[in-house]
Amino acid sequence: MDGRSLDYTAAGAPIRDDLRATHAMVLEHFSRPGCWFSGRERIAIAAESRLAVGCPLCRERRSALSPEHVQGAHATTGALKQPLVELIHRVRTDPGRLSRRFFDAVIAAGLRDGEYVEAVGIVALAAGLDFLCRALGVPVLPLPGPLPGVPSRHRPSGLQEGIAWVPLLPPEAASGPDADIYGGADFVPNIVRALSLVPDHVRVLRTWSDAHYVALRDLTARRAIDRPQIELVAARVSALNECFY
Amino acid sequence: MTLGVEADLSQVDGKSQSGDGGVAHGARLVAFTDAVMADDEDALRRGRAALREVLSDAAFVDTCATIGNFNIVDRIADATGIPLDDLMLSMSAQVREDLDLARFGSSANTPGQRRRAAS
Repeated sequence: MDGRSLDYTAAGAPIRDDLRATHAMVLEHFSRPGCWFSGRERIAIAAESRLAVGCPLCRERRSALSPEHVQGAHATTGALKQPLVELIHRVRTDPGRLSRRFFDAVIAAGLRDGEYVEAVGIVALAAGLDFLCRALGVPVLPLPGPLPGVPSRHRPSGLQEGIAWVPLLPPEAASGPDADIYGGADFVPNIVRALSLVPDHVRVLRTWSDAHYVALRDLTARRAIDRPQIELVAARVSALNECFY
Repeated sequence: MTLGVEADLSQVDGKSQSGDGGVAHGARLVAFTDAVMADDEDALRRGRAALREVLSDAAFVDTCATIGNFNIVDRIADATGIPLDDLMLSMSAQVREDLDLARFGSSANTPGQRRRAAS
């Protein structure tokens, strides 16, 4: 997929080549078979996350004191199994109130931790793309068709349990096919390790971050808005998402 | 990492009553961000127009990119239960205390966080 084919005309502003290329990369990433889901399933996850935005159950839960107090059925495409649908809708619409209890319930309902991490990565990336488009004033970027192939079933060796809800791959343990995922960085914060159960998510997120924020390896890099402006916007988004991290 | 800028943290919480809080075009940036994150299409159009009066095309796009980026990282952090790293916690401790970020449910993922006592 070529970033030049993506339509940002309605933004009325030129979109940097690295942003276009990254968006095309993310969309292609969705369409490829991953560790645990086929390309078809991954596209379905992204599509389901978009449907969650208008889901009446999600809206009602969002305004409730506790999301667990509101029961009902999600507006869903019907293409995915239930614990996965619940995960997708919660991550997309109410991430600030996710809890260890929720995670345990989803795993107990039959979702594997690798599936959980792979789905979270897709939903998060789709949300980022969609909020960016909303901010620019352009329609959401169309999802591509799925690419053929089967999931790799790859699980990195050296995963560390007990730090987060999901296992994390410490940089010193990244080896073999996963040796490159942290790019040789001296400091790898937990936000970079968070999806390391699915190494390609880490690679894609590194490229995304370099284009949309500032490269971790160069926190003094300049954008057209200055650093205090970047951090104000970032902090306001995180406050609205009720994100402590 | 310090930036050498004194900024009004109430902008982050949407509680600033006046001005840009020490950040260039801070009020418009916050209003635009709020509108992107909410459901009000008229507010979004107004916020975007107001921001584009004062920012270059490139700066406007960078603002949008930042909003997109943090909608990703927030979801990843909250859905995986990662604790805040010790280094980042120590660097931001005062800011977190001032903003009472421990009130967020996700603070439970970082040991030792306590809400500010009600005054």
